[in-house]
Amino acid sequence: MTAFAIETNGLSKTFRSFWSGREVRAVDGISLQVEKGTTYGLLGPNGAGKTTTVKMLLSAVHPTAGSAHIFGQNAAIPEARRDIGYLPENHRFPTYLTGYAMLDFYGALSGMDSPSRRRRIPELLALVGLDDWGDIRLGKYSKGMLQRVGLAQALMHEPKLLILDEPSDGVDPVGRRQIREILQSLEQRGVTIFVNSHLLAEVEAFCRDVAILHRGKIVLQGKVRDLTAGRGYRLTVPAGLPEKLREEIVLRASSFSPRETFLDIQFLERAAANSAIDLLRANHIEIESLLPTTSTLEDVFIRSVNAQ
Amino acid sequence: MPNRTLTVTQAIVVDTFREAFARKIFWGLFALSTLMIAFFLFIMKIDIMQGATATISLFGNRADANVDADMMVRKVQAGVAAFLYTWGMFLAVFASAGLIPSVLEPGRIELLLSKPVSRAHLLLGRYLGNVLVVGGNIAYLVCGIWLILGIKTGIWTPAFLIAIVTTMFLFAVLLSVVVLIGVLLESTALAVMVPTGLMLISPVLAQVEMMDRLLSSEWSRALWRTLYHCLPKVYDIGRLTMDIVLGTKIQTLTPIATTAAVGAAILALSIHIFRRRDF
Repeated sequence: MTAFAIETNGLSKTFRSFWSGREVRAVDGISLQVEKGTTYGLLGPNGAGKTTTVKMLLSAVHPTAGSAHIFGQNAAIPEARRDIGYLPENHRFPTYLTGYAMLDFYGALSGMDSPSRRRRIPELLALVGLDDWGDIRLGKYSKGMLQRVGLAQALMHEPKLLILDEPSDGVDPVGRRQIREILQSLEQRGVTIFVNSHLLAEVEAFCRDVAILHRGKIVLQGKVRDLTAGRGYRLTVPAGLPEKLREEIVLRASSFSPRETFLDIQFLERAAANSAIDLLRANHIEIESLLPTTSTLEDVFIRSVNAQ
Repeated sequence: MPNRTLTVTQAIVVDTFREAFARKIFWGLFALSTLMIAFFLFIMKIDIMQGATATISLFGNRADANVDADMMVRKVQAGVAAFLYTWGMFLAVFASAGLIPSVLEPGRIELLLSKPVSRAHLLLGRYLGNVLVVGGNIAYLVCGIWLILGIKTGIWTPAFLIAIVTTMFLFAVLLSVVVLIGVLLESTALAVMVPTGLMLISPVLAQVEMMDRLLSSEWSRALWRTLYHCLPKVYDIGRLTMDIVLGTKIQTLTPIATTAAVGAAILALSIHIFRRRDF
């Protein structure tokens, strides 16, 4: 019995042009281990290989090397997808279907029998706030409503693993909060949630674990809590400190960054910040501001990507 | 497991019907069939005279000679079968060619592939749905005309109903070509052009004996024979259908067997390509 909902080993995908023979390595030997019951965010700039990775997990794209397993089963086997609920990015649901018919269709494809579908559909439409829209064709839905009915579709067969590609895309703030609340309640019930998103603040607020993908490779992975642990203090003073004083401050600070007519000085320890303030004040330097800081996921993301 | 397979197949078939309804494909074919049935119901008149002879009248104009009533009905039915076989088939291919590429659209196919259903099952389910959409209309048209002619003349020729089977069979074979083009190139235009080309070239290719005499080199005769045997024999099966409807002795059933083999091979190749493709 595996402890992982998703496990990949050296997963790679190279796309080859039929005519020119040119090759593009979209995913380059990534190894992921997503624990059961966790909330996992896959981050990366455009073209990093996130969607290709997700498609390989769903067997929509065949890997050129490596392996992917879902709850211990080879992802290439249809049965491995029984416990997956998936919401694609840029989905194109058949607009000729009503919300009800769409949920019924995808529920049937997930192997649900007719009575279960009839019971589940009204529950889900109510959950995503579309209970009055079940008989309306999807062609009349707004983008946010399509996203919500898409989420309902992913939840139809009560999956143990939810793979969401940009789940908040096109959803207004109220709808976004609603989706987050639904996902949080699923997390409490032990559903593993794998999110592929550009919204770093959202991933930071929701996910326990993240992996940052860049040019097809994982450049960083770990617990959000650990990755954003870079706490400290940022002191802002006028630029143009005397040279000797500047050298004294440099000894105490972790970094310096000029900003317009100011200088931002970062300290890791409170004691170092206090010592620098004493020194600055003794030299009659005005303190512009002092702020406690944390390292955001965005900082971590940009650092990781720029380091490559 | 068999129940689950049935549920999935039923869902895909129903979805194909829904799309055919939404694209007005089903209703378009249904309207054409109804128009043709109405033609036989109101405009074409067959009078049985003295038991075994009949006259036919169209728009009130009566044909000159009295003919054998049974043969008259069979000839009318053979005409319907020929229409179905040519224009009907073209319309069916034209109408349903978009139903395969539509499911391969980005944003739609990924979601279908994320379900615990094999790719072969998805493709065959869609194929079956498509055959049933067209087959339903063929059955409606043939049965409607058969009933009207039977009621008007009192002559019931069950052989005409064979046209449902042969026409559906041929459509199923041509649809396998549509599927192949769909999974290979995702082009609706080519999915219409290639089967239409096969229908047009078939009567020419069927002239094997004449071409054996006309072609000078052995390799060109061999190429002709190969093409004839490897492509669906649309013309031969059409002739076979006419023979059955007219009550003429059937020479051979080989065209059906070889065409079925070609259709099955094309469908198997489509499934193979669909299974290997990235979406």
